[in-house]
Amino acid sequence: MATHDGAAAGRPGRSGAVPARARAALDALEHLIGGMGTGLLALLATLWLALTAVACLAGVGLLLLPSALHAVRAVADRERARLSRWGPELIGPAEPPAGLRAALADRAVRREARWVCTHGIFGLLLGLIGATLPLNAAHDITFPLYWRLLPESESTAALGWWTVRDWPGALSVTLIGVLFVAAIVLCVPALARLQAWPGRRLLSPDPGTDLVLRVAELTATRAAALDAHATELRRVERALHDGTQNRIVAVTVLLGAARRALTRNPAEADAVLERAQEAAEQALAELRAVVRSILPPVLADRSLPDALTALAADCPVPCRVDADVPGRCAASVEATAYFVVAEALSNIAKHSGARDAGVVVRRLDDRLHVEIHDDGRGGADERNGSGLTGIRRRTEAHDGTLELASPPGGPTTLKVTLPCGS
Amino acid sequence: MRIVIAEDDALLREGLALLLRAESLDVVATAEDPDTFLAAVDAEKPDVAIVDVRMPPTHTDEGITAAVEARRRRPELAVLVLSAYVEQAFATDLLAQGSARLGYLLKERVGRVEEFLDALHRVADGGTAIDPEVVAQLLTRSRPDARLGRLSPRERDVLALMAEGLGNAAIAERLVVTDGAVHKHIRNIFAKLDLAPTDRTDRRVAAVLHYLEDARRRA
Repeated sequence: MATHDGAAAGRPGRSGAVPARARAALDALEHLIGGMGTGLLALLATLWLALTAVACLAGVGLLLLPSALHAVRAVADRERARLSRWGPELIGPAEPPAGLRAALADRAVRREARWVCTHGIFGLLLGLIGATLPLNAAHDITFPLYWRLLPESESTAALGWWTVRDWPGALSVTLIGVLFVAAIVLCVPALARLQAWPGRRLLSPDPGTDLVLRVAELTATRAAALDAHATELRRVERALHDGTQNRIVAVTVLLGAARRALTRNPAEADAVLERAQEAAEQALAELRAVVRSILPPVLADRSLPDALTALAADCPVPCRVDADVPGRCAASVEATAYFVVAEALSNIAKHSGARDAGVVVRRLDDRLHVEIHDDGRGGADERNGSGLTGIRRRTEAHDGTLELASPPGGPTTLKVTLPCGS
Repeated sequence: MRIVIAEDDALLREGLALLLRAESLDVVATAEDPDTFLAAVDAEKPDVAIVDVRMPPTHTDEGITAAVEARRRRPELAVLVLSAYVEQAFATDLLAQGSARLGYLLKERVGRVEEFLDALHRVADGGTAIDPEVVAQLLTRSRPDARLGRLSPRERDVLALMAEGLGNAAIAERLVVTDGAVHKHIRNIFAKLDLAPTDRTDRRVAAVLHYLEDARRRA
């Protein structure tokens, strides 16, 4: 019966312990070396911070500060992602507050700065030790195979110590190699934990405040999502009421008129019936348009690049689409990207006076980057009630970002990124 | 009867004009927005205006505002408001001005030509035409009212038809009863609701609608 097998599998025998330890040691080595990578980046960020501090004394540091803080956050996020892969997930803090003074006062930013210094020195050092241990082990264990080929000055164990001149010496170097292996198995997991410790402590959310902020931010974006949803529903409601419903009312009015005409003058009734039929056909066409605007069938049937190409073809301004999106994103994300492009192209057609437009879509890691640009007169402003507000709301509802560059005289570039959600 | 139509949807506007002209009614102007409509009211001196609630620019309640303004400029103007759906607040706004020469109908009623023409004539003749749906909603929402609860089912039917603006003869015809029976029901209703009895249809409608509106607020 299964219970028998289950009991055996649940209690690994003694023979399983050695491979398990070896595996744990290898994993820990991998973590140490991975930590060496972020340690190197952290060291660079630390140097950049130090340079900024020196430049501040010279009075020009404020120019460097945003980039330094940005670098710190980027490295910290990388480490969070790395640590989250083999331990409890580390949730990142909210966006740092706008304004340098506020950013410098932000607790999360300060903790990240402390981590960057610690990890850039000690983390990197531990990573280097982790990386050299297996090299030393290999060097020493295999020493008897080649020691006679070495010039006397280099004929030593990996760490030096003494010059090997005879076989017992060479074999004792092998013994040192075995000790290295033992050290790897016994110490490396602890080293990896030590290396990760500052990150786990300093990059985790500040107890209390950080999570509250993050929850507030998430609540706000959820509310924005619901808002965007409500706006979308209102749009659909209006399209149905003012378009389709009016057509169908017209159909009933014309049918009523036709019935009255039948009793008086059947020839007249036919003309009225024909208009009723036209109205019914228009109602169908409008209904199709409304349905298409909810989730374009081209998006449902084909791919995002195809859907965007179709959009560009409908745009009165000549528009090139360069979309390279391997795989598919979540349907809501694709629909949002579609509407961002649709809205942007309709803005371009209505307001820009552009002669040329372009759409570039890329998927980098798990984010979808959408860029729409035109050579029109620029000066696009979110505040004057264009479709940009709608684009921003829909984008932020998906935790996306929006950047708009539109100097007077043009050109205009709109960049939107969306998490792919898959 | 000189009629002005204010409706932003071209097809519906033309359909309405075609229907009314086929009935030998005099459609003197059609308008697609509130300004054109008010200009037509000034220029053509119509007897009746048929006005869509949703009109440009915002497509919310421009029609109601325009109708109220048209009535201010021309108090003897009869107004029949058409709406895509029942918006109680709009109906109440309109009725706040008194219910004489006033109608509020769902658009789809236009297809029932006899009833629509009946409502149109009623409004033009100084009466009231309230959509059955509006009345039904008022009645549903005033349900907890104790005095309404004392009405018999038949009396409730009569009350609803009164609220729509129908006269005694029309109510008798709808319910297939005699004029005398309708008269008796109406007396009972006024007694049970503590309303001052009146024979004038417009006052009666106003009284009943006010009662229902009050009951809804209390509910």
